[in-house]
Amino acid sequence: MTDVLTTVRDVVSVALFAVGALLALVASIGLHRLGDTRARMHAATKPATLGVVCCGLAAALQLAYFSDVTKIVVIVVLQLVTAPVGAHVLGRAVGEDGDGGGRS
Amino acid sequence: MIVAVSTTVLDSAILGVLAVAAVLVVVRIVRPGSLGDRAVALDTLTAVITCGLLVVAARTGDGLQLDLAVVLGLLGFLTSVTVARFIEARRGDHHD
Repeated sequence: MTDVLTTVRDVVSVALFAVGALLALVASIGLHRLGDTRARMHAATKPATLGVVCCGLAAALQLAYFSDVTKIVVIVVLQLVTAPVGAHVLGRAVGEDGDGGGRS
Repeated sequence: MIVAVSTTVLDSAILGVLAVAAVLVVVRIVRPGSLGDRAVALDTLTAVITCGLLVVAARTGDGLQLDLAVVLGLLGFLTSVTVARFIEARRGDHHD
């Protein structure tokens, strides 16, 4: 019984990790292929929130200690709070025309 | 035992996918582009590295990498806010 539960836990964990990794890959391709800065920002927000949530859940399934799971909760909540704020500030700075703040 | 072996292999494959994503994002940062594009790519790189640290933490079983992930999350936020303020300041100078 415990063996079956371990297997289920491993399968769910690997599947969640795979979702997070594929979101990161899709976002990195989108950063190259999309047209302007705001469209690229749209691609970049997927792994920043959903990818980290998926990877955090998967890691929490694998780790044994309560302190580790607490740290994962801190990581995920921090990411969920800061990612929209950072994207908002950056989107306002980029401006209406979406030229990305000029050439650097 | 078979399941344990295959999860190790799959973890390696997931780390490989994350490495490919990180390389693509770094290429996006290094390639000539606007400052905002680079800031967005840097934010994405932070998220990809956080995912990688979580995979490694689950694989090794100790919580060493989780401290790094907390610091990285704070650092990524401060980086994007600082770059955004820099862009706004430069834009203001340009218009004056």
